[in-house]
Amino acid sequence: MLRKRPHLAWLAAPYVLYLAALPAVNRLHPTVAGLPFLFFWLLLATLLTPAAVYLAWRGDRAHRARRTRDGAGGTDRGAA
Amino acid sequence: MTSQAATATTVFAVFMLATVVLGLAAVRGRTPGGGIADWSVGGRSLGTVLIWVLMAGEGYTSFSYLGAAGWGYNHGSPVLYVIAYMSCGYAIGYVVGPTLWAYARRHGLVTITDMVAHRYGRPWLGTAVAILATVCLLPYIQLQITGMGVVVSTISYGAISLNWAYFVAFAVTTTFVVISGLRGSAWVSVLKDVLVIATLGFLAVYVPLHYFGGYGPFLDRLTAEKPAWLTLTGHGGSGLGGAWFATTSFLNSLTVVIFPTTVAGYLGARSADTLRRNAMLLPFYNVLLFVPMLLGMAALFVVPGLKGAESNLALFKLVVDSLPAWAVGVIGVAAALSSIVPMGVFMLVIGTMWGRSVLGAVPALAGRQDRQKVAAQVVVVVAGALALLMTYTRPDTLVRLSLISYEGMAQLVPMVLIGLVWRKLTLWGAVSGLVVGGTLVCWLVFTGHDPLWGVNAGAPALAVNLLVALAVSRFGPRTADLRPDDEVLAADPGPGGEPEGPGGALSVPGATLGND
Repeated sequence: MLRKRPHLAWLAAPYVLYLAALPAVNRLHPTVAGLPFLFFWLLLATLLTPAAVYLAWRGDRAHRARRTRDGAGGTDRGAA
Repeated sequence: MTSQAATATTVFAVFMLATVVLGLAAVRGRTPGGGIADWSVGGRSLGTVLIWVLMAGEGYTSFSYLGAAGWGYNHGSPVLYVIAYMSCGYAIGYVVGPTLWAYARRHGLVTITDMVAHRYGRPWLGTAVAILATVCLLPYIQLQITGMGVVVSTISYGAISLNWAYFVAFAVTTTFVVISGLRGSAWVSVLKDVLVIATLGFLAVYVPLHYFGGYGPFLDRLTAEKPAWLTLTGHGGSGLGGAWFATTSFLNSLTVVIFPTTVAGYLGARSADTLRRNAMLLPFYNVLLFVPMLLGMAALFVVPGLKGAESNLALFKLVVDSLPAWAVGVIGVAAALSSIVPMGVFMLVIGTMWGRSVLGAVPALAGRQDRQKVAAQVVVVVAGALALLMTYTRPDTLVRLSLISYEGMAQLVPMVLIGLVWRKLTLWGAVSGLVVGGTLVCWLVFTGHDPLWGVNAGAPALAVNLLVALAVSRFGPRTADLRPDDEVLAADPGPGGEPEGPGGALSVPGATLGND
């Protein structure tokens, strides 16, 4: 599936943000806008997750458009 | 009854009545006799909005108000794992949701046990998984009943006793679920989400302002005086470090996508794109989960010294202490609905699993959708009553129970998630893995070995489960299954891959709310 829709790799982004990054972000300082760093980071991750899923969605839309176009132009390609 | 109690209780009573009316109105105008699919998965006709409120509603339970605030109060940051696993789960739901949705729709399946029975070609496996899942879900219903009881008793200033509050939780939920099924839960979720978003948004601003003079001073004081709460492993020698956080979040994110209640939401969707859109929109709801956690920590300064189960009330102590009775009532209603909605879906799912996979095997019910629906409705009442009885006789603390359920349900991941996309996983491989993993989890949890070596005990159990499943699939007995892969396996229909437009279950007249 990833071969045909490589953009789905974006769905792994929250795993990186919330889990893989943990050792680096598990800290009190620096505080950001008063928030302890760990809390700031997890809040950021929570806001970035929908963005990552959006990128997967956008990739799918492009994929769909490409497929429709290729489907319509199938005979041309066959001739070439 | 004091005037405060009278005000808050009246607000609560009015909203409970409104909940029942709304739940019942959900099926108004729909032709009766739609069979179990209409009841269990709303005729597979819900649009983006209704699926969003329903699934957000399932995720935001009484735990969010009570356990989350209580964990925030006792330990601090470890409780943020809830946000981590829900975000991850919503993201992979982008693929898993459409996959399960398309599979169920194609083969006329209404629940996860149905899918298992179809995949492995063994109705008894569906029955076995249904019983196992019921054991894992019943504590959840009890948890919601208990949670609602505590909230209602607190916000009514003690005027409504715990036992009465438990009963109200059961009665309100059962009424609309039996009649309206998933559609009823979705409609009640609309009311719930409006109230939850409004009240938490308000509290997020009001509490720091009222007690600390704003966010800046609150956070400064928190950072200066309670640093132990603000990083992992949190305060109080919980042993809940980074490894625990990561393994729990990872495990739960895989489990939540096959959790029978999540799957009920998936199957209720009108199209695969509805689910993909929701995978984008649902993570926003998680921002709200920060609020009870922060307020739980704010309670450290305002009501210090809460012990044991009392800490679950950290948030409500602040609410009752600082707000007028009517506002207390409204916030209580939001919390009560956060019990009612998930509880309704839990009961619905148990009813569906039994109507299809357990009682559905009885000859008089086999192949009879209308009779299966009636059986499911009866099971809803029985399951709810059983949970109510457990609440009266065997109350327990909130968080532990849900962890056991989750670690238990996690053991279904290989059988369901891998089995549905990989033909080489055999029936006996999947069953052996489940049995070994399930036994291991029970043993670890009940002998006090969770967390094990700093990681969530469900994770090593799942690893063993997977190894056993692979080994038995490779070397163990094979059962003949002549059906083509196409018939047995599930696949993500892909963007634009699902049949759209008229035909099939897609065009259901009369679905007015949430059409998009």
